Amino acid sequence: MVPVQYYLLLSAGLFCVGLFGILTRRNALVFLMSVEIMLTAANINFVAFSFQHGNLTGQVFSLFTIALAAAEVAVGIGIVLVLYRNFRGVDVTEAATMRW
Amino acid sequence: MAPLPDWTAAAPAILLGLTAIALLIIDSISPRSKNRNLLAGTTLVGTLAALAAAVGLLVTGTGTNGGVAIYGGQIVVDGMSLFFTIIFTSVAALVTLASYDYLAGENEQAEYYALVMLATTGMAMMASAGSLALVFVSFELLSLPSYALVAFLKDNRGSVEASLKYLLVGALSSAILLYGISLVYGVTGGLSFETIAANIQNSGLTGMLGIGVLMVLGGFAFKTASVPFHFWAPEAYEGAPGPISAFLSSASKAAGFVVAFRVFTVAFGLDIVSSVDWVLAFQVLAIVTMTLGNFAAATQDNVKRMLAYSSVGQAGYVLIGLAALGGGQDALVLGMSMTHLLVYGFMNTGAFLFIALAEHWDIGRTFADYNGLGSQAPIACAAMSVFMLSLAGIPLGGGFLSKYFLFGAAVGAGFWWLAAIAIVNSVLSLYYYLRVVRAMWFEESNGDRTIEGYPLGLYTAVIAAAVVTVLLIPAFNFVADPAVDAAAALF
Repeated sequence: MVPVQYYLLLSAGLFCVGLFGILTRRNALVFLMSVEIMLTAANINFVAFSFQHGNLTGQVFSLFTIALAAAEVAVGIGIVLVLYRNFRGVDVTEAATMRW
Repeated sequence: MAPLPDWTAAAPAILLGLTAIALLIIDSISPRSKNRNLLAGTTLVGTLAALAAAVGLLVTGTGTNGGVAIYGGQIVVDGMSLFFTIIFTSVAALVTLASYDYLAGENEQAEYYALVMLATTGMAMMASAGSLALVFVSFELLSLPSYALVAFLKDNRGSVEASLKYLLVGALSSAILLYGISLVYGVTGGLSFETIAANIQNSGLTGMLGIGVLMVLGGFAFKTASVPFHFWAPEAYEGAPGPISAFLSSASKAAGFVVAFRVFTVAFGLDIVSSVDWVLAFQVLAIVTMTLGNFAAATQDNVKRMLAYSSVGQAGYVLIGLAALGGGQDALVLGMSMTHLLVYGFMNTGAFLFIALAEHWDIGRTFADYNGLGSQAPIACAAMSVFMLSLAGIPLGGGFLSKYFLFGAAVGAGFWWLAAIAIVNSVLSLYYYLRVVRAMWFEESNGDRTIEGYPLGLYTAVIAAAVVTVLLIPAFNFVADPAVDAAAALF
Protein backbone atom coordinates (compact mmCIF):
# COMPACT_ATOMS: atom_id res chain seq x y z
CA MET A 1 0.00 0.00 0.00
CA VAL A 2 1.31 3.43 -0.95
CA PRO A 3 1.54 5.61 2.17
CA VAL A 4 -0.85 8.55 2.23
CA GLN A 5 2.01 11.07 2.32
CA TYR A 6 2.86 10.34 -1.29
CA TYR A 7 -0.69 11.13 -2.38
CA LEU A 8 -0.48 14.35 -0.45
CA LEU A 9 2.78 15.26 -2.18
CA LEU A 10 1.27 14.48 -5.58
CA SER A 11 -1.80 16.60 -4.89
CA ALA A 12 0.25 19.48 -3.49
CA GLY A 13 2.39 19.35 -6.62
CA LEU A 14 -0.66 19.41 -8.88
CA PHE A 15 -2.14 22.27 -6.87
CA CYS A 16 1.02 24.28 -7.36
CA VAL A 17 1.08 23.52 -11.09
CA GLY A 18 -2.47 24.86 -11.34
CA LEU A 19 -1.67 27.92 -9.25
CA PHE A 20 1.41 28.62 -11.37
CA GLY A 21 -0.72 28.43 -14.52
CA ILE A 22 -3.24 30.88 -13.09
CA LEU A 23 -0.59 33.37 -12.08
CA THR A 24 1.43 33.30 -15.30
CA ARG A 25 -0.90 32.60 -18.23
CA ARG A 26 -2.96 35.27 -19.93
CA ASN A 27 -5.24 33.03 -21.92
CA ALA A 28 -8.66 32.70 -20.28
CA LEU A 29 -9.06 29.11 -21.48
CA VAL A 30 -5.70 28.06 -20.03
CA PHE A 31 -6.85 29.73 -16.83
CA LEU A 32 -9.93 27.49 -16.71
CA MET A 33 -7.74 24.43 -17.33
CA SER A 34 -5.45 25.46 -14.47
CA VAL A 35 -8.41 25.71 -12.14
CA GLU A 36 -9.44 22.22 -13.20
CA ILE A 37 -5.99 20.95 -12.25
CA MET A 38 -6.34 22.52 -8.81
CA LEU A 39 -9.75 20.91 -8.32
CA THR A 40 -8.28 17.57 -9.41
CA ALA A 41 -5.58 17.96 -6.79
CA ALA A 42 -8.26 18.31 -4.13
CA ASN A 43 -10.03 15.22 -5.52
CA ILE A 44 -6.86 13.15 -5.17
CA ASN A 45 -6.72 14.21 -1.54
CA PHE A 46 -10.33 13.24 -0.98
CA VAL A 47 -9.92 9.78 -2.44
CA ALA A 48 -6.61 9.13 -0.69
CA PHE A 49 -7.89 10.29 2.69
CA SER A 50 -11.08 8.35 2.18
CA PHE A 51 -9.00 5.18 1.77
CA GLN A 52 -6.88 6.15 4.76
CA HIS A 53 -9.83 6.75 7.06
CA GLY A 54 -11.78 3.78 5.75
CA ASN A 55 -14.99 5.71 5.06
CA LEU A 56 -16.62 6.63 1.79
CA THR A 57 -17.39 10.29 2.53
CA GLY A 58 -14.42 11.61 0.61
CA GLN A 59 -14.97 9.42 -2.43
CA VAL A 60 -18.61 10.40 -2.72
CA PHE A 61 -17.77 14.07 -2.27
CA SER A 62 -15.14 13.87 -5.01
CA LEU A 63 -17.92 12.74 -7.38
CA PHE A 64 -19.84 15.85 -6.36
CA THR A 65 -16.90 18.09 -7.05
CA ILE A 66 -16.29 16.54 -10.48
CA ALA A 67 -19.87 17.45 -11.42
CA LEU A 68 -19.49 20.94 -9.97
CA ALA A 69 -16.21 21.47 -11.83
CA ALA A 70 -17.97 20.60 -15.06
CA ALA A 71 -20.71 23.11 -14.30
CA GLU A 72 -18.14 25.76 -13.48
CA VAL A 73 -16.38 25.22 -16.80
CA ALA A 74 -19.69 25.42 -18.65
CA VAL A 75 -20.42 28.84 -17.17
CA GLY A 76 -16.77 29.84 -17.57
CA ILE A 77 -16.69 29.01 -21.25
CA GLY A 78 -19.89 30.98 -21.76
CA ILE A 79 -18.21 34.00 -20.22
CA VAL A 80 -15.06 33.46 -22.29
CA LEU A 81 -17.30 33.39 -25.36
CA VAL A 82 -18.84 36.80 -24.63
CA LEU A 83 -15.35 38.02 -23.80
CA TYR A 84 -14.23 36.95 -27.26
CA ARG A 85 -17.19 38.69 -28.89
CA ASN A 86 -16.58 41.97 -27.08
CA PHE A 87 -12.80 42.15 -27.05
CA ARG A 88 -11.92 40.01 -30.10
CA GLY A 89 -9.67 37.75 -28.07
CA VAL A 90 -9.38 35.58 -24.96
CA ASP A 91 -6.46 37.42 -23.37
CA VAL A 92 -7.47 38.30 -19.82
CA THR A 93 -5.24 41.37 -19.76
CA GLU A 94 -7.05 42.87 -22.77
CA ALA A 95 -10.21 43.37 -20.76
CA ALA A 96 -8.99 46.30 -18.68
CA THR A 97 -11.35 49.19 -19.29
CA MET A 98 -11.90 49.71 -15.57
CA ARG A 99 -9.03 50.93 -13.45
CA TRP A 100 -8.34 50.86 -9.75
CA MET B 1 -52.70 19.23 15.45
CA ALA B 2 -49.95 16.86 14.46
CA PRO B 3 -46.50 18.43 14.34
CA LEU B 4 -45.19 19.23 10.89
CA PRO B 5 -42.67 16.80 9.43
CA ASP B 6 -39.05 17.82 9.85
CA TRP B 7 -38.38 18.61 6.21
CA THR B 8 -40.81 21.55 6.35
CA ALA B 9 -38.09 23.40 8.26
CA ALA B 10 -36.29 23.74 4.91
CA ALA B 11 -39.40 25.36 3.38
CA PRO B 12 -37.73 28.70 2.50
CA ALA B 13 -35.03 27.04 0.41
CA ILE B 14 -37.55 24.66 -1.17
CA LEU B 15 -39.87 27.55 -2.11
CA LEU B 16 -36.99 29.48 -3.68
CA GLY B 17 -35.89 26.44 -5.67
CA LEU B 18 -39.46 25.78 -6.85
CA THR B 19 -39.76 29.42 -7.96
CA ALA B 20 -36.62 29.02 -10.06
CA ILE B 21 -38.03 25.89 -11.68
CA ALA B 22 -41.38 27.59 -12.28
CA LEU B 23 -39.61 30.44 -14.07
CA LEU B 24 -37.72 28.00 -16.27
CA ILE B 25 -41.00 26.23 -17.12
CA ILE B 26 -42.59 29.57 -18.04
CA ASP B 27 -39.57 30.25 -20.22
CA SER B 28 -39.88 26.91 -21.99
CA ILE B 29 -43.58 27.50 -22.69
CA SER B 30 -43.09 31.01 -24.06
CA PRO B 31 -39.42 31.58 -24.83
CA ARG B 32 -38.06 35.14 -24.78
CA SER B 33 -41.19 36.33 -23.07
CA LYS B 34 -41.21 40.02 -22.27
CA ASN B 35 -44.20 39.70 -19.99
CA ARG B 36 -42.65 41.61 -17.10
CA ASN B 37 -45.71 41.30 -14.89
CA LEU B 38 -45.78 37.54 -15.08
CA LEU B 39 -42.05 36.97 -14.64
CA ALA B 40 -41.31 39.56 -11.96
CA GLY B 41 -44.64 38.72 -10.30
CA THR B 42 -43.81 35.00 -10.06
CA THR B 43 -40.39 35.80 -8.64
CA LEU B 44 -41.77 38.26 -6.13
CA VAL B 45 -44.49 35.88 -4.95
CA GLY B 46 -41.98 33.05 -4.52
CA THR B 47 -39.51 35.28 -2.68
CA LEU B 48 -42.13 36.73 -0.37
CA ALA B 49 -43.50 33.24 0.33
CA ALA B 50 -40.00 32.13 1.31
CA LEU B 51 -39.61 35.25 3.45
CA ALA B 52 -42.93 34.57 5.15
CA ALA B 53 -41.94 30.94 5.74
CA ALA B 54 -38.63 31.98 7.29
CA VAL B 55 -40.29 34.58 9.53
CA GLY B 56 -42.97 32.07 10.49
CA LEU B 57 -40.44 29.39 11.38
CA LEU B 58 -38.40 31.86 13.41
CA VAL B 59 -41.42 33.21 15.29
CA THR B 60 -42.82 29.76 16.06
CA GLY B 61 -39.52 28.77 17.62
CA THR B 62 -38.16 26.23 15.12
CA GLY B 63 -34.72 27.68 15.64
CA THR B 64 -34.56 27.01 19.37
CA ASN B 65 -33.07 23.97 21.11
CA GLY B 66 -30.31 23.48 18.59
CA GLY B 67 -32.62 23.69 15.61
CA VAL B 68 -33.86 20.96 13.31
CA ALA B 69 -31.31 18.68 11.66
CA ILE B 70 -32.49 16.93 8.52
CA TYR B 71 -30.89 14.59 5.97
CA GLY B 72 -28.59 13.12 8.58
CA GLY B 73 -27.44 16.49 9.84
CA GLN B 74 -26.46 17.80 6.41
CA ILE B 75 -29.03 20.59 6.74
CA VAL B 76 -29.42 22.36 10.07
CA VAL B 77 -32.24 24.88 10.38
CA ASP B 78 -31.69 27.01 13.47
CA GLY B 79 -32.08 30.60 14.53
CA MET B 80 -29.06 31.79 12.60
CA SER B 81 -30.02 30.12 9.33
CA LEU B 82 -33.54 31.55 9.53
CA PHE B 83 -32.26 35.00 10.46
CA PHE B 84 -30.00 35.03 7.43
CA THR B 85 -32.67 33.56 5.17
CA ILE B 86 -34.76 36.59 6.10
CA ILE B 87 -31.91 38.86 4.95
CA PHE B 88 -31.47 36.98 1.67
CA THR B 89 -35.14 36.89 0.77
CA SER B 90 -35.67 40.56 1.70
CA VAL B 91 -32.80 41.62 -0.53
CA ALA B 92 -34.00 39.32 -3.31
CA ALA B 93 -37.48 40.85 -3.09
CA LEU B 94 -36.08 44.40 -3.35
CA VAL B 95 -33.85 43.38 -6.26
CA THR B 96 -36.78 41.78 -8.05
CA LEU B 97 -38.88 44.90 -7.66
CA ALA B 98 -36.06 47.03 -9.03
CA SER B 99 -35.36 44.66 -11.91
CA TYR B 100 -38.93 45.07 -13.11
CA ASP B 101 -38.04 48.48 -14.56
CA TYR B 102 -34.37 47.85 -15.14
CA LEU B 103 -35.03 44.93 -17.48
CA ALA B 104 -37.76 46.55 -19.57
CA GLY B 105 -37.29 45.45 -23.17
CA GLU B 106 -34.64 42.80 -22.44
CA ASN B 107 -35.00 39.42 -24.07
CA GLU B 108 -33.73 37.03 -21.43
CA GLN B 109 -35.82 38.12 -18.47
CA ALA B 110 -36.96 34.64 -17.44
CA GLU B 111 -33.37 33.43 -17.29
CA TYR B 112 -32.40 36.47 -15.28
CA TYR B 113 -35.04 35.90 -12.62
CA ALA B 114 -34.39 32.15 -12.60
CA LEU B 115 -30.69 32.79 -11.98
CA VAL B 116 -31.50 35.23 -9.18
CA MET B 117 -33.73 32.62 -7.57
CA LEU B 118 -31.13 29.86 -7.95
CA ALA B 119 -28.50 32.08 -6.35
CA THR B 120 -30.90 32.87 -3.49
CA THR B 121 -31.55 29.15 -3.04
CA GLY B 122 -27.80 28.67 -2.79
CA MET B 123 -27.63 31.35 -0.11
CA ALA B 124 -30.44 29.77 1.90
CA MET B 125 -28.63 26.42 1.69
CA MET B 126 -25.38 28.01 2.76
CA ALA B 127 -27.09 29.45 5.81
CA SER B 128 -28.29 26.02 6.90
CA ALA B 129 -25.31 23.91 5.84
CA GLY B 130 -24.40 21.25 8.37
CA SER B 131 -21.38 19.82 6.58
CA LEU B 132 -18.51 21.08 4.47
CA ALA B 133 -19.89 19.09 1.54
CA LEU B 134 -23.08 21.13 1.54
CA VAL B 135 -21.05 24.28 2.12
CA PHE B 136 -19.13 23.70 -1.08
CA VAL B 137 -22.12 22.65 -3.18
CA SER B 138 -24.21 25.64 -2.09
CA PHE B 139 -21.19 27.92 -2.47
CA GLU B 140 -21.10 26.92 -6.14
CA LEU B 141 -24.88 27.13 -6.48
CA LEU B 142 -24.53 30.76 -5.44
CA SER B 143 -21.37 31.50 -7.44
CA LEU B 144 -22.28 30.09 -10.85
CA PRO B 145 -25.53 32.07 -11.31
CA SER B 146 -23.73 35.16 -9.99
CA TYR B 147 -21.05 34.97 -12.70
CA ALA B 148 -23.74 34.70 -15.34
CA LEU B 149 -25.80 37.52 -13.85
CA VAL B 150 -22.85 39.92 -13.80
CA ALA B 151 -22.38 39.24 -17.52
CA PHE B 152 -26.09 39.76 -18.18
CA LEU B 153 -25.46 42.81 -20.40
CA LYS B 154 -23.73 40.67 -22.99
CA ASP B 155 -22.89 43.52 -25.36
CA ASN B 156 -21.61 45.84 -22.68
CA ARG B 157 -17.84 45.66 -22.35
CA GLY B 158 -17.88 46.68 -18.70
CA SER B 159 -20.36 43.95 -17.81
CA VAL B 160 -18.35 41.25 -19.59
CA GLU B 161 -15.06 42.40 -18.13
CA ALA B 162 -16.58 42.48 -14.64
CA SER B 163 -17.90 38.97 -15.07
CA LEU B 164 -14.56 37.68 -16.31
CA LYS B 165 -12.74 39.09 -13.30
CA TYR B 166 -15.39 37.74 -10.96
CA LEU B 167 -15.08 34.32 -12.60
CA LEU B 168 -11.29 34.31 -12.45
CA VAL B 169 -11.10 35.17 -8.77
CA GLY B 170 -14.13 33.03 -7.96
CA ALA B 171 -12.86 29.90 -9.67
CA LEU B 172 -9.46 30.29 -8.02
CA SER B 173 -10.94 30.79 -4.57
CA SER B 174 -13.36 27.88 -4.92
CA ALA B 175 -10.40 25.66 -5.83
CA ILE B 176 -8.56 26.93 -2.75
CA LEU B 177 -11.65 26.37 -0.59
CA LEU B 178 -12.00 22.82 -1.90
CA TYR B 179 -8.35 22.03 -1.25
CA GLY B 180 -8.73 23.41 2.26
CA ILE B 181 -11.79 21.21 2.80
CA SER B 182 -9.82 18.18 1.59
CA LEU B 183 -7.06 18.88 4.13
CA VAL B 184 -9.58 19.30 6.94
CA TYR B 185 -11.16 16.02 5.85
CA GLY B 186 -7.75 14.40 5.91
CA VAL B 187 -7.19 15.53 9.50
CA THR B 188 -10.63 14.79 10.91
CA GLY B 189 -11.97 11.98 8.73
CA GLY B 190 -15.36 13.54 8.15
CA LEU B 191 -17.14 16.42 6.49
CA SER B 192 -20.06 17.05 8.81
CA PHE B 193 -19.48 19.75 11.39
CA GLU B 194 -20.15 17.33 14.26
CA THR B 195 -17.50 14.88 13.10
CA ILE B 196 -15.00 17.66 12.52
CA ALA B 197 -15.65 19.19 15.93
CA ALA B 198 -15.31 15.80 17.60
CA ASN B 199 -12.03 14.84 15.93
CA ILE B 200 -10.27 18.13 15.44
CA GLN B 201 -8.61 18.21 18.85
CA ASN B 202 -6.92 14.83 18.99
CA SER B 203 -5.49 14.61 15.50
CA GLY B 204 -1.98 15.83 16.14
CA LEU B 205 -1.63 17.08 12.57
CA THR B 206 -1.57 20.76 13.48
CA GLY B 207 0.37 21.93 10.44
CA MET B 208 -1.94 20.34 7.90
CA LEU B 209 -5.00 21.45 9.82
CA GLY B 210 -3.65 25.01 9.97
CA ILE B 211 -3.15 25.18 6.21
CA GLY B 212 -6.60 23.68 5.66
CA VAL B 213 -8.29 26.19 7.98
CA LEU B 214 -6.49 29.09 6.33
CA MET B 215 -7.50 27.92 2.87
CA VAL B 216 -11.13 27.56 3.95
CA LEU B 217 -10.90 31.08 5.36
CA GLY B 218 -9.59 32.25 1.97
CA GLY B 219 -12.62 30.81 0.22
CA PHE B 220 -14.95 32.67 2.56
CA ALA B 221 -12.93 35.86 2.19
CA PHE B 222 -13.79 35.74 -1.50
CA LYS B 223 -17.53 35.48 -0.88
CA THR B 224 -17.48 38.26 1.68
CA ALA B 225 -15.21 40.44 -0.51
CA SER B 226 -12.59 40.69 2.22
CA VAL B 227 -8.89 41.17 1.75
CA PRO B 228 -7.02 39.32 0.18
CA PHE B 229 -9.77 38.17 -2.22
CA HIS B 230 -11.52 41.51 -2.64
CA PHE B 231 -10.04 42.40 -6.03
CA TRP B 232 -13.08 41.26 -7.92
CA ALA B 233 -15.53 43.34 -5.89
CA PRO B 234 -15.00 46.86 -7.28
CA GLU B 235 -14.90 45.57 -10.84
CA ALA B 236 -17.88 43.24 -10.51
CA TYR B 237 -20.04 45.78 -8.68
CA GLU B 238 -19.16 48.55 -11.13
CA GLY B 239 -19.69 46.54 -14.29
CA ALA B 240 -22.73 44.50 -13.29
CA PRO B 241 -26.30 45.70 -13.87
CA GLY B 242 -27.32 47.89 -10.90
CA PRO B 243 -29.76 45.48 -9.23
CA ILE B 244 -27.21 42.67 -9.49
CA SER B 245 -24.58 44.84 -7.80
CA ALA B 246 -27.08 45.36 -4.99
CA PHE B 247 -27.76 41.64 -4.82
CA LEU B 248 -24.09 40.62 -4.75
CA SER B 249 -22.87 43.28 -2.37
CA SER B 250 -25.61 42.67 0.20
CA ALA B 251 -27.03 39.16 0.03
CA SER B 252 -24.06 37.30 -1.39
CA LYS B 253 -21.76 38.93 1.15
CA ALA B 254 -24.10 37.98 3.99
CA ALA B 255 -24.11 34.40 2.69
CA GLY B 256 -20.32 34.30 2.88
CA PHE B 257 -20.49 35.57 6.43
CA VAL B 258 -23.12 33.15 7.67
CA VAL B 259 -21.17 30.17 6.45
CA ALA B 260 -17.95 31.57 7.94
CA PHE B 261 -19.73 32.12 11.29
CA ARG B 262 -21.02 28.60 11.35
CA VAL B 263 -17.93 26.77 10.12
CA PHE B 264 -15.57 28.61 12.43
CA THR B 265 -17.69 28.53 15.57
CA VAL B 266 -19.32 25.09 15.21
CA ALA B 267 -16.86 22.96 13.23
CA PHE B 268 -13.46 24.41 14.05
CA GLY B 269 -14.45 25.96 17.35
CA LEU B 270 -12.60 28.15 19.78
CA ASP B 271 -10.83 25.16 21.34
CA ILE B 272 -8.28 24.87 18.54
CA VAL B 273 -7.26 28.51 18.81
CA SER B 274 -4.28 27.58 20.97
CA SER B 275 -2.76 25.62 18.06
CA VAL B 276 -4.43 27.16 14.98
CA ASP B 277 -5.12 30.77 15.89
CA TRP B 278 -7.85 31.64 13.42
CA VAL B 279 -9.14 34.45 15.63
CA LEU B 280 -5.85 36.26 15.06
CA ALA B 281 -6.22 35.71 11.32
CA PHE B 282 -9.65 37.34 11.45
CA GLN B 283 -8.30 40.26 13.48
CA VAL B 284 -5.68 40.95 10.81
CA LEU B 285 -8.27 40.53 8.04
CA ALA B 286 -10.77 42.82 9.77
CA ILE B 287 -8.30 45.64 10.21
CA VAL B 288 -6.77 45.40 6.74
CA THR B 289 -10.18 45.02 5.08
CA MET B 290 -11.85 47.99 6.74
CA THR B 291 -8.84 50.27 6.30
CA LEU B 292 -8.20 49.36 2.69
CA GLY B 293 -11.88 49.57 1.77
CA ASN B 294 -12.34 52.99 3.32
CA PHE B 295 -9.17 54.55 1.95
CA ALA B 296 -9.87 53.23 -1.54
CA ALA B 297 -13.47 54.46 -1.34
CA ALA B 298 -12.31 57.95 -0.39
CA THR B 299 -10.30 58.29 -3.60
CA GLN B 300 -13.03 57.34 -6.07
CA ASP B 301 -14.82 59.67 -8.47
CA ASN B 302 -17.32 57.08 -9.59
CA VAL B 303 -20.20 56.71 -7.14
CA LYS B 304 -20.84 53.05 -7.86
CA ARG B 305 -17.16 52.23 -7.41
CA MET B 306 -17.11 54.24 -4.19
CA LEU B 307 -20.01 52.14 -2.92
CA ALA B 308 -18.18 48.98 -3.99
CA TYR B 309 -15.15 49.91 -1.87
CA SER B 310 -17.40 51.05 0.94
CA SER B 311 -18.95 47.59 0.96
CA VAL B 312 -15.44 46.15 1.32
CA GLY B 313 -14.98 48.45 4.30
CA GLN B 314 -18.30 47.38 5.80
CA ALA B 315 -17.22 43.75 5.48
CA GLY B 316 -14.29 44.70 7.69
CA TYR B 317 -16.67 45.88 10.42
CA VAL B 318 -18.68 42.66 10.22
CA LEU B 319 -15.48 40.61 10.51
CA ILE B 320 -15.18 41.99 14.05
CA GLY B 321 -17.85 39.42 14.88
CA LEU B 322 -15.28 36.67 14.40
CA ALA B 323 -12.20 38.71 15.31
CA ALA B 324 -13.42 39.60 18.81
CA LEU B 325 -14.31 36.05 19.87
CA GLY B 326 -12.81 34.52 22.98
CA GLY B 327 -13.24 37.65 25.11
CA GLY B 328 -16.19 36.38 27.10
CA GLN B 329 -18.81 38.20 25.05
CA ASP B 330 -18.97 35.77 22.16
CA ALA B 331 -22.73 35.66 21.70
CA LEU B 332 -23.11 39.43 21.90
CA VAL B 333 -20.30 40.16 19.46
CA LEU B 334 -21.47 37.63 16.92
CA GLY B 335 -25.11 38.63 17.36
CA MET B 336 -24.32 42.30 16.76
CA SER B 337 -22.33 41.33 13.71
CA MET B 338 -25.40 39.51 12.38
CA THR B 339 -27.59 42.50 13.17
CA HIS B 340 -25.23 44.81 11.35
CA LEU B 341 -25.45 42.52 8.33
CA LEU B 342 -29.24 42.74 8.39
CA VAL B 343 -29.25 46.53 8.60
CA TYR B 344 -26.52 46.64 5.99
CA GLY B 345 -28.64 44.37 3.80
CA PHE B 346 -31.28 47.08 3.56
CA MET B 347 -29.19 50.24 3.47
CA ASN B 348 -26.60 48.93 1.03
CA THR B 349 -29.18 47.34 -1.26
CA GLY B 350 -31.06 50.61 -1.26
CA ALA B 351 -27.93 52.59 -2.13
CA PHE B 352 -27.08 50.33 -5.05
CA LEU B 353 -30.68 50.40 -6.24
CA PHE B 354 -30.50 54.20 -6.26
CA ILE B 355 -27.48 53.80 -8.56
CA ALA B 356 -29.62 51.48 -10.68
CA LEU B 357 -32.21 54.26 -10.81
CA ALA B 358 -29.51 56.70 -11.94
CA GLU B 359 -28.42 54.20 -14.60
CA HIS B 360 -32.03 53.90 -15.69
CA TRP B 361 -32.14 57.69 -16.12
CA ASP B 362 -28.72 57.57 -17.74
CA ILE B 363 -27.38 60.57 -15.84
CA GLY B 364 -23.77 59.47 -15.53
CA ARG B 365 -21.68 57.81 -12.90
CA THR B 366 -19.48 60.37 -11.14
CA PHE B 367 -20.21 62.51 -8.11
CA ALA B 368 -20.45 65.59 -10.32
CA ASP B 369 -23.20 63.97 -12.38
CA TYR B 370 -25.35 63.85 -9.24
CA ASN B 371 -25.11 67.61 -8.70
CA GLY B 372 -28.49 69.14 -8.01
CA LEU B 373 -30.35 65.88 -8.41
CA GLY B 374 -32.20 66.62 -5.18
CA SER B 375 -34.38 69.23 -6.84
CA GLN B 376 -35.36 66.92 -9.68
CA ALA B 377 -36.00 63.71 -7.78
CA PRO B 378 -36.43 64.73 -4.14
CA ILE B 379 -37.97 61.51 -2.84
CA ALA B 380 -35.31 59.19 -4.26
CA CYS B 381 -32.56 61.56 -3.16
CA ALA B 382 -33.98 61.73 0.35
CA ALA B 383 -33.93 57.95 0.46
CA MET B 384 -30.34 57.91 -0.81
CA SER B 385 -29.37 60.41 1.90
CA VAL B 386 -30.82 58.06 4.51
CA PHE B 387 -28.72 55.19 3.12
CA MET B 388 -25.54 57.24 3.03
CA LEU B 389 -25.95 58.62 6.55
CA SER B 390 -26.91 55.23 7.91
CA LEU B 391 -23.92 53.57 6.24
CA ALA B 392 -21.69 56.25 7.74
CA GLY B 393 -23.20 55.61 11.16
CA ILE B 394 -25.16 58.80 11.72
CA PRO B 395 -28.34 58.21 13.73
CA LEU B 396 -30.75 58.58 10.84
CA GLY B 397 -30.95 54.85 10.18
CA GLY B 398 -30.36 51.53 11.85
CA GLY B 399 -26.72 51.60 10.78
CA PHE B 400 -25.89 53.85 13.69
CA LEU B 401 -27.24 51.49 16.32
CA SER B 402 -25.81 48.33 14.81
CA LYS B 403 -22.36 49.88 14.46
CA TYR B 404 -22.54 51.36 17.95
CA PHE B 405 -23.45 48.07 19.59
CA LEU B 406 -21.00 46.08 17.46
CA PHE B 407 -18.08 48.31 18.43
CA GLY B 408 -19.37 48.42 22.01
CA ALA B 409 -19.46 44.64 22.15
CA ALA B 410 -15.89 44.50 20.84
CA VAL B 411 -14.80 46.90 23.60
CA GLY B 412 -16.66 44.83 26.17
CA ALA B 413 -14.82 41.72 24.98
CA GLY B 414 -11.52 43.47 25.61
CA PHE B 415 -10.70 44.30 21.99
CA TRP B 416 -10.77 48.06 22.44
CA TRP B 417 -8.00 48.55 19.83
CA LEU B 418 -10.12 46.75 17.24
CA ALA B 419 -13.04 49.05 18.03
CA ALA B 420 -10.79 52.11 17.99
CA ILE B 421 -9.53 51.33 14.49
CA ALA B 422 -13.11 50.67 13.38
CA ILE B 423 -14.26 54.03 14.77
CA VAL B 424 -11.41 55.90 13.04
CA ASN B 425 -12.40 54.19 9.80
CA SER B 426 -16.02 55.02 10.39
CA VAL B 427 -15.20 58.70 10.80
CA LEU B 428 -13.15 58.63 7.61
CA SER B 429 -16.06 57.05 5.77
CA LEU B 430 -18.20 60.10 6.60
CA TYR B 431 -16.17 62.05 4.03
CA TYR B 432 -17.10 60.03 1.00
CA TYR B 433 -20.66 59.23 2.07
CA LEU B 434 -21.37 62.91 2.66
CA ARG B 435 -19.91 63.76 -0.74
CA VAL B 436 -22.93 62.08 -2.32
CA VAL B 437 -25.33 63.94 -0.06
CA ARG B 438 -23.61 67.25 -0.78
CA ALA B 439 -23.67 66.69 -4.52
CA MET B 440 -27.36 65.88 -4.50
CA TRP B 441 -28.61 68.72 -2.30
CA PHE B 442 -26.05 71.52 -2.14
CA GLU B 443 -24.39 71.65 -5.55
CA GLU B 444 -25.90 73.46 -8.49
CA SER B 445 -26.89 71.30 -11.41
CA ASN B 446 -24.34 71.92 -14.15
CA GLY B 447 -26.14 70.77 -17.25
CA ASP B 448 -29.49 70.41 -18.90
CA ARG B 449 -30.21 67.00 -17.48
CA THR B 450 -33.72 65.72 -17.96
CA ILE B 451 -35.24 62.90 -16.03
CA GLU B 452 -37.75 60.83 -17.94
CA GLY B 453 -40.37 59.31 -15.75
CA TYR B 454 -40.33 57.93 -12.27
CA PRO B 455 -40.19 54.12 -12.66
CA LEU B 456 -42.58 52.52 -10.20
CA GLY B 457 -40.70 49.33 -9.35
CA LEU B 458 -37.35 51.01 -8.73
CA TYR B 459 -38.96 53.74 -6.68
CA THR B 460 -40.91 51.25 -4.59
CA ALA B 461 -37.76 49.24 -3.89
CA VAL B 462 -35.66 52.27 -2.97
CA ILE B 463 -38.34 53.75 -0.71
CA ALA B 464 -39.11 50.40 0.93
CA ALA B 465 -35.42 49.96 1.72
CA ALA B 466 -35.24 53.49 3.15
CA VAL B 467 -38.35 52.99 5.30
CA VAL B 468 -36.98 49.74 6.72
CA THR B 469 -33.60 51.37 7.36
CA VAL B 470 -35.25 54.12 9.39
CA LEU B 471 -37.68 51.76 11.14
CA LEU B 472 -34.77 49.64 12.29
CA ILE B 473 -33.97 52.35 14.86
CA PRO B 474 -37.14 51.89 16.93
CA ALA B 475 -37.33 48.19 16.08
CA PHE B 476 -33.68 47.53 16.80
CA ASN B 477 -34.15 45.26 19.80
CA PHE B 478 -36.79 43.35 17.91
CA VAL B 479 -34.05 42.34 15.45
CA ALA B 480 -31.04 42.23 17.75
CA ASP B 481 -32.54 39.89 20.34
CA PRO B 482 -33.16 36.97 17.96
CA ALA B 483 -29.70 37.54 16.50
CA VAL B 484 -27.99 37.34 19.89
CA ASP B 485 -30.08 34.28 20.80
CA ALA B 486 -29.17 32.62 17.51
CA ALA B 487 -25.49 33.41 18.05
CA ALA B 488 -25.63 32.13 21.64
CA ALA B 489 -26.95 28.78 20.38
CA LEU B 490 -23.72 28.23 18.43
CA PHE B 491 -21.36 28.20 21.40
